[in-house]
Parts: sequence; C-alpha cells; structure tokens
Amino acid sequence: MDYTRREILETLRMTELEHFDVRTVTVGVSLLDCGHEDPEEAGRRVYAKLVRVAGPLPGVVAEITEALGIRVANRRIAVSPVALIGTRAEPGSYLAIARAIDRAAQEMGFDFVGGYTALVHDGFTQADRALIASMPEALSTTKTLCSSVNAGSSRTGLNLDAVRLVAHMLKETAYLTRESGSLGCAKFVIFANAVEDNPFMAGAFHGIGLPEVVIHTGVSGPGVVCQAIRRAGPCDLRALAEVIKRAAYRITKVGEILGRQVADRMGVPFGIVDLSLAPTPELGDSVGEVLEAMGLERTGACGTTAALAMLTDAVKKGGVMATSAVGGLSGAFIPVSEDAAMIAAAREGALSLEKLEAMTSVCSVGLDMVAVPGDVSEELLTGFIADELAIGIINHKTTAVRVIPAYGKRVGESVSFGGLLGEAPVMDLRRLSCEAFVRRGGQMPAPITSLRN
Amino acid sequence: MDRERLAYQVAEILLRHLPQGAAPSAVEAVTADLVRLLEAAGSEPAATDEPSGRRLMVLTVLGRNHSGIVHAFSEVLAEAAVDIVDINQTIVHGNFAMMMIVDPTSSKLSFADLKTALKRRGDEVGVQVFVQYEDLMRALNRI
Repeated sequence: MDYTRREILETLRMTELEHFDVRTVTVGVSLLDCGHEDPEEAGRRVYAKLVRVAGPLPGVVAEITEALGIRVANRRIAVSPVALIGTRAEPGSYLAIARAIDRAAQEMGFDFVGGYTALVHDGFTQADRALIASMPEALSTTKTLCSSVNAGSSRTGLNLDAVRLVAHMLKETAYLTRESGSLGCAKFVIFANAVEDNPFMAGAFHGIGLPEVVIHTGVSGPGVVCQAIRRAGPCDLRALAEVIKRAAYRITKVGEILGRQVADRMGVPFGIVDLSLAPTPELGDSVGEVLEAMGLERTGACGTTAALAMLTDAVKKGGVMATSAVGGLSGAFIPVSEDAAMIAAAREGALSLEKLEAMTSVCSVGLDMVAVPGDVSEELLTGFIADELAIGIINHKTTAVRVIPAYGKRVGESVSFGGLLGEAPVMDLRRLSCEAFVRRGGQMPAPITSLRN
Repeated sequence: MDRERLAYQVAEILLRHLPQGAAPSAVEAVTADLVRLLEAAGSEPAATDEPSGRRLMVLTVLGRNHSGIVHAFSEVLAEAAVDIVDINQTIVHGNFAMMMIVDPTSSKLSFADLKTALKRRGDEVGVQVFVQYEDLMRALNRI
C-alpha cells in the first residue's frame, strides 16, 4: 500500500476530529475597470463583474472539498480598495458601490467581501475622505461588506489625522449598530503596513500590484496544533518547536492543495496561502488553548508573549516547507472574541489589554476583536489605536486594531455577535488622558529604519 | 526524464562496460537504436511513481467488527466497476479498521454518487465510512 495505516488514520484524525478546516478561500478581483462618473453606473459595473468573475467560486469549492474530504468555513471576495474606483468623490457615491458589492456577494453565497478600503498612510485624497465618511452607513446597512483603512507604514510613518477620523467613525458605527452589539465595528479594521494579499477579514483587499483575478487561501487549525502539543507531552522547547512545525506543515499543505485546485478549475492564477492559525469560538479550536497546552495556566500569564513568539515563529517555519506561495499575514491570530480560551481569560481578568498589546508585537496582526466600554472618548480611542500601529511601523510588521466601542456597555458586560465573530467581554481601557497628544494631529514621521536604500 | 536522455544514459552505461576504444559516435548510434526501440514499444520509459492520469481514492471504514463488512463494500465497488488496488484490514480490541485504495477511473458512478453509495452501505452495516481522493494522504505524509 502506498500509504501506511498510520498515515491514513492520522490524516482522518486531523480532518475529522481536530476541528481542522480551511478558514477561507478568497477570490481577489480587481474593480479598477469599473469606475464611472455616475456612481449608480459604477455600482452596476461592479455588480456585473463580481457575478461574472467570482460567481463560480462557491460551486467549485464545494465540489473540490467534497473530493478531498475537507471543510472550508468561508468563501470570500477581496476587491480593489473601493476608494480607488473612479467616481464622484462624495460619500453617497461609495454607498451605491457598497450596496452593489453586498448584493452580489449575498446572491452568490459568499460570507464576506473585503475592500471597502482607503489607503491613507501618507495623506488623504478626496475619495479617501468621502469613503471614510460613508463607512458608518455602509457598515450598518450591509451584511457581508468589510472595511479597512491603512493609516501608517514603516516607509511613511503614521497618519494620526486618519486615526482620529477612524476613531470618530467607529463611535458613529457603534451607535448605528447598537441593536446588534455594535456589530458594524467588527467589520472594520485599521492597519499599519497592510498587506495586499490578505485573505482574512475584515482586512482583505485586492492590492494594486496583483493580477486581475487571483485565488488565495487562509488556513486555520489551532486544534491540530493543540492536539499535537498535548500528545508530545513534557518535552523541551526545541522538541516542542519541531512538533508545532510538523503540524503547521500539514495544515498549510492542505491550504496549498485546495487553493491550487480551485485556481486551476476557475482558470485563474493561484496567489498565496496565508498560514495563520485562525481560531474559532468553538472549544478545541483556540490559539489561547495552544498557549495553555504549552504550559501556561491562562492566556495572559507571565510567559504568554514568549510562548506566542515561539508559536508564531514555528508556524511560519513549518508552513514555508509546505508551500512556496506564503503570503498574507501568516502567523497566529489572537482575536479575543473569536477564541474560547481568550474569552475566558479576558472575563476572568487574566488577560488585560496591556498584555494583549505586548502579545501583538510577536503575533501576526494586532489588537483584534476587543470590546471596550462604549463611553470611551474619541481621543482615548485614537491613542489606543496609535499605540498599536506604532508597534508595527517601528518593527516593520503588520499591526492592526479591530476594536468595538460597544455602545451602552460597561466593563464586565459582553457583546455577542454569533458565528465566527463570537463573543467579546468588554475590557478595561486606562482612562488617563492623551488628548493633548492626539490633538496635535499631523503625520508622525517615518522611522529612521525606513531609510534602507 | 525524457526518452532521449534516458536512452543516451543507458548507451553510456553499456559502452562503459565494453572494452576500451568505443568511439563517441558509437554512443550516438546506440542511443538512436534505443530511442527507436522505446518508441516501437510505445511505452513511457520514465519511471514515475504511478501511471499518469490515474487519481486513486482512499476508502476508510471504522467500526465494531462483525462478519460481512469487507464483502459489503467490495460489492458496492464491484457494482460500480471500481477496481480495488490495495486493501489493508485489521482488528484492534474488536474494532474493525479497513483501508482500501481504489481506482475509480472506469467507475460507472460519479465521485459524489459513489461516495453516497458507500456511505449508505456504511449506515446499513453500522460502520463509519470516509471517502476521499488520495491527494491529501500523498501531500501530508510525503515531503
């Protein structure tokens, strides 16, 4: 037999018992040819292109996953940053496009679409301002649309004015979606060093350097890593790193095979596998649980940052052996509301926002899916976001903030979104003022390490 | 490896074992003869792992042991004209585990229908059935 009994059973254990799924197959679609001065016409062009180009994906994915014996949690679309679709630079214009995208996605059976995006790391165009102004309404009146802003980069520094604008926008979105736990904010993320080929939400967009259409996959698999660590028992860290690498190899390989087969069938290029460990709120599919299996009493204990650093690094090392097309964010995600062990740690007070911030310096993204009290000021929110983006800018990595200033909620309460977005306990934010600092506004200069030529 | 290169290498090996003095032109001549021979045989000389175009499936059956399980599944496969390439079956503490590698190339059923038929048979005999193409097994266990 070509495969040993053990190899077959191990593969089945992974796909059947350890919550393994591929988190997302994301089709990236350029919308740069859909511009029109009349926003309604631009919307019609966007709708037509999405239906034509992305339409076959859900069917193709269903067929291939059935043949391979794996599950895919989400089918998603990433579109060109909508602020770059040429149309009249008024908020209403972009709303027409937002509705067209959402309608196309829902009709074709997609879970999310990313790309309601403005890239403003070194200043605003009129279109960027109009798009950001339209976000509260876009996020509160659509279902699948996700939105992002890139407000800083290691080459340009930090656009603090953009962060302030976003803080204001988030408060408004939180209010408009107050009936659903301020859900609108969960569909928005602000970045430093945003990547062009990220298949994960809310920050996916189809970068301007990419081909017309492309297929990306984003894997998941904390459950597989967690079980492997448990089976390994009390080995030392070098041995543990090896265990994680092997698990990451297998997880990534599945993403690679699936992505290539889907791309082949669709007749479009395959882009990247994002080899991030993405948790779900389901028990046994949690990055926090992985950290705890490594030997921590709770996520947030001393040692958490070190354990996460090692985990992220080992995942990357295992993953790059499995595919030559690594991309996106690739590391470990720590979205609080989407991770059962993190929810528990935050609720018990074991995990503070400060510890979470430290963890983001070694994970793949940032402060993700954290809820803060609804009454925090815009200035405080600006300072909170600026801190996180500064970590990314100085350290040449992507960082991001997906924060929900939960309207009407206080520390100790929680907001529930259901599904993959989970449940976020409202966490305490230091109330010391940063008002005079953030009111200075302007552009924080690029770090000295940006001068690399 | 393409046909001509393989032939050239075989010719070189042959001539190495002959007495000294074989001219380089002899290598060429032997190569040409070998290429003709291979073409006439009409077969792919390249030593690949498996015949090209054949995508095998893995059928795994797990459950409590009782008589007739192997028969139940080989019957479904035979009716669908699916060839059993390899079979491995074991019993651990009364639990039955069977892995079959099958070749669905000339199957009368589509993949989805074959999977449904096998799953239905699994329900009838009270065992769990997993059916998938071999792609994952191959990729996950071989670097």
